[in-house]
Order: sequence, then C-alpha cells, then structure tokens
Amino acid sequence: MKERSKLSTFFYYKIRPFLTKVKKFIFKYTGISFISKKFRQLPKKTRRAITGYIFILPFIIGFFLFGLRPIYNSIKMALSDFAGSKIIDGSTKFIIEGFGFSQFKQIFTENPNHVEAILGVLGDLMIVVPLVLVFSLILALLVNKKLKGIKIFRTIFFIPVILLSGNLIRYFQNYNLLDLPGLRGGAMQEMVQLYIPGNFSNIIVSAFDKVVLILWLGGVQTLIFLAGLQKTDKLVYEAAAIDGATGWEMFWKITFPSLIPLMMINIVYTTVIYASLGNPLISAISQATVGAEYGRDYASALAWILFAIEILVIGIYLLVLYFANKRYE
Amino acid sequence: MQLTKRQVRRRKIKKFFFGSVNSSGFLSKLFLYIILIGISFIFLYPVLKMTVTSFMSLEDLIDPTVNWVPSVMMLENYTKAAQVLNFKNSLWDSILVSLVPTIFSVLSSALIGYGFSQYEFPGKKIWFAAVVLVFLVPTILLNIPTYVLYNSLGILKSLKAYMYPAMLGFGLRQPVFIFIFYQFFNGIPHELSEAAEVDGANAFQTFVKIAVPLAIPAFIITTLYSFVWYWNETNLAISYFQGEYTTLQIAVSQFENMYRELFPGGNVGMDSASQAFNEGVLFAGTMLSILPLLVLYAFTQKWFVESADRAGIAGN
Repeated sequence: MKERSKLSTFFYYKIRPFLTKVKKFIFKYTGISFISKKFRQLPKKTRRAITGYIFILPFIIGFFLFGLRPIYNSIKMALSDFAGSKIIDGSTKFIIEGFGFSQFKQIFTENPNHVEAILGVLGDLMIVVPLVLVFSLILALLVNKKLKGIKIFRTIFFIPVILLSGNLIRYFQNYNLLDLPGLRGGAMQEMVQLYIPGNFSNIIVSAFDKVVLILWLGGVQTLIFLAGLQKTDKLVYEAAAIDGATGWEMFWKITFPSLIPLMMINIVYTTVIYASLGNPLISAISQATVGAEYGRDYASALAWILFAIEILVIGIYLLVLYFANKRYE
Repeated sequence: MQLTKRQVRRRKIKKFFFGSVNSSGFLSKLFLYIILIGISFIFLYPVLKMTVTSFMSLEDLIDPTVNWVPSVMMLENYTKAAQVLNFKNSLWDSILVSLVPTIFSVLSSALIGYGFSQYEFPGKKIWFAAVVLVFLVPTILLNIPTYVLYNSLGILKSLKAYMYPAMLGFGLRQPVFIFIFYQFFNGIPHELSEAAEVDGANAFQTFVKIAVPLAIPAFIITTLYSFVWYWNETNLAISYFQGEYTTLQIAVSQFENMYRELFPGGNVGMDSASQAFNEGVLFAGTMLSILPLLVLYAFTQKWFVESADRAGIAGN
C-alpha cells in the first residue's frame, strides 16, 4: 500500500509534468497546437460536425477501401466477358475483360439447375421470412409471460443464437436432423393435403418440414421482440383491461402496432441471415468460384442475383408492413 | 350478500382452474407449460439427436431399432474426432481468430456509433444508409473481389485479413454492432458531452471518461456476439487464412476428408469396418466444435438473454 502511494506520488510530481512538457513540445513543432487553436475559434456547430466526422472516420475509410472498391469490382466482374487469372509475360495477373450481360445470359439460358436454385431460394425466402417473424413473435410473447421456470425456457430458446452456423445447418439438413419425427409423411401432412387443395397444401407441407429450421433462424429476432414487449407501458394494458378489452383485442390494438418498427428490423435481419447461411445458391456460387467450369465472373453474376433476391423480398415485406402500419394511423 | 360454504368452495376451485382477472389459472398455466416444453423439444431435437448419435457405434447406427439410446457408449468416437480435428490446435486457433478481430470490431463500432449518435453533421443520413447497405450486401458477393483486394494488399494468410476490416467498420456483421452502440449512446443526452467539452475536456476524453463507462453493457454484449459470430464463420476463414489457421469450424467443414486421410481403409474385414467414416464420429466432431460455445453460453447466458433489452435495440 505504501509502495503504491510512493509510486503514484512519483508519477504525479516527476513523470506527469515531464510528459506534459514533451506533449507541448511535440504539439508546438508539429503544428497541432496551431490547428487546435484554429479549431477552437470555429463556430460550435462546425466544430461538432468535424468532431462527428472524425469519430466515424474509420467507417468512411473502410467504406472506400473495403466497401466501394469491392462492390465496384464485383459489378465489373459480373458484367464482364471474362474475369480471372491469366498468365501474361510469365506472371499470373488478375484481369477483367469485356462488358456485357453474357454471364447473366449464360445463367438463364444454359444452366437450368442454377435457375432452379435461384427460384428455390426466392420461394424459400418468401415462405421463411414471414414464418420466422410469426414464430419469433409467438415465442417472445410466450417467454414474456411471468411463469415459474421461464428462465430455463428462455435459455433453451436462445441456444440457436450462439450455435447457428453454416456448418451446423448443413449437417442438420444433410443428415435429416431437421425433420421432426411424424411430421413428414405423417398424419399431419395427410390431413393438410386432404383439406387444403393443390399447390397451397404443398407450401404448407414444406413449411412443416422447415419448422425446426424456422425456430432456429429466429433466435435474435425473438430477443428483439422480447425487448420490445418489455418496453411497452403496462399502464396502457391495465387501462385497456378496465375498459373491457380482451387479450386478443389488446394484442392487435396495442402490442402489434408498437412492434411494427421491430418487425421491419427483423424482416431485414432474417433475410440477410438466411441469404448468408447455407442455401443452394450459396453453394452454387462457391462451387463456381473455385471450379474451373464457371469462374469468378460467373460466380459474381450469381451473387448479384442473390443480392437482388434479398432486396426484392425485403422490399415486398416492408411494403406490406408499411400498408399495415398505415391502417393504424 | 352472504355466500354459502359450498359457493365459496366452488368459486375457489373455479379460480384455481380458470384464474381470475389478475392471475391466470391452473389450466391455462398447464397449457402454457405444455406448449413451452413442446417447443423446447423442437428446439433441442437436432442437438439432442446429434448428441445421442455421437455416442453410437457403427452397429447402432445401422440397427433401425436403436433410435435414442445407444447400446454401448462409444467414447471412442470423441477421441477419434478430437484426433481428426487436431482439437488442441484448432481450439487455440479458433479462440485467437475470434477474439482478436472482436476486440477491434467492438472498439471501432463504439467510436462509429458514438459519432453517429452524439454529433450532427452534414451527410449523416447518407453515411448511416451506407452502414445499412453494408449489412444488406451478402458476404459472398464481396467475398470474390475482397479476396483479390486482400491478395494485392498482402494481408491474406494472416490475422490481418480479419483485423484490418474490423478496425475500419467492416468486420463480420459489424453494422449490427454499430447500430447497437448508436442506440445505446442515444440514451446519453447530447448535453452531457457538450457540458464536458465546455469544461475543457476534448471530444475523445469525453468519450473515454463519460460515454464508455456508461456503455459497459453494450460492450459486453457486442463482444459476446462478435466472438460467437467469428467463431461460427467458415467460408471467409477458409478463403482468407488458406490453412494458416485451422479453426474448429474449418476443421469440421472438412471433417470427412480429414477423417479418410487419417483412417484409410474401412471396407475390408470386420476390424477395419469399425474404422469407416460414420455419422457417429462426424457428430462427435461437430459436438466438440460447439462445446466451447455451450460452455461460454452457460456462463454468459444472462447477457445473451437480456442483450436486446439492455442494448436498447427496441428504442426508448
């Protein structure tokens, strides 16, 4: 204790003044003190604007270096006739040649299995996104209940948040771990096919197949909904209950509208996560990148289609929510 | 009005089963528990099945009557899997590859989020839109040109391939963290930082001495998520590190090939049949790769479960 105080007094009386001297010296001769003096003379608004820019400067640099350049190059590759390594004068160089839609043409005219993958991912996303939303909302409502032992259930429900990875989902799918016993080909499926006609029943059956996957994809979304539910004012519910509103009415008139902004976040999140975890299109892209058959140019074109699908799905569901929100206003 | 004893008893029973205005009754609680347990089962089903299978011998895997309970506990699966994964090295690589970029990613996210939340500047909305755009662009889209870029920068095959982007706001799913910090710092009034600046502290001192201590929960949450997400990343790690670092996830993704290299043969004779590649060993390997995460979850579970609430994602 004594030693420590000795050390700190030594620091305060000997080292610190020395350090400030050094700092002043450096600042004086590098022009920093001049700049900071000028900076202090600026109006407050400008000063704060500049400080703000300094704080986000890392992102701006990153955006130009790791964002814009790769995006630009990716567009260039997708719209090129050839992009890849070629040996020129004895050294391998990465070159991009030509301009046109030849890669996209190749996808849609020559490779029906890739077109199938594209349509499959689009269809999957259209089904999975709303289902994840609904399921995670239901889970959040359940977990928000005050019950004994609810913490245990919370712990279980949020396990996917840490375990969800491309590998795990791939093995789950490859070894049929996502098929709940009795769902596929079971009585449930027969019932659905009996009572609901045609293609619509197929969609429902495929949704049954995806129940586990959908629950697993919804971890973070449930968390977000749960946070929203815990934020809503309890007094509003009490007032509504006194006015004689039923639970059902309260959900649609109070809870649902208050959650719409979070639903928008969740739609975006779900789409991005689904499109980045293993799906047929991703494996097609990685195969095309590595393999000699298609090359990077072709893979880039496929990746842009994946991005387009993502934006399309997000756009559609955000529009739906936008109109739903309008009804409440 | 006086109630008879019988009426009182009847009401009590009714209250117990169906609840009153203030509390839900026994029946609805029972119903809720059944639903909760059912959903828990669906959640855990793939992991449980995987765990059980990882203890099965080849005979159990083939035998259709063995479904949930293995006839013998094949701990050998785990020793083999650990051998295939090169567990100790891979574990260390995984920790290194997840932890180092996470530190950079969290620090830069805090700075960027603070800048967005506390300061007004022209073009703020455009830059914020840029953050969202970065989140939307699929990693695989940028993977190809980024690989070429890193190659020309000479940062492939080293941790730098993860570190530099993380420093500059381009770490794995970093827009999420920027958003979390943005929301969190929004809870701090601008007046606080302005007052500190009037008192002579510069902007960075204000950030370190006032904002950071207030944002400790956000730091913990983002660190945990970033760590877990880097841990689970496979494709990027494979293409950037190219064998320099073999994380557990990389090892798991190449499990089958590695296994066949280590234990060749397996088709001739009874003795070598037990050596053949099977789901039991594969799942043992997968379990080994997620085990460290489960341990982490056991200790930090509270932070994950309360994360959205604490980080103020839902707004105020």
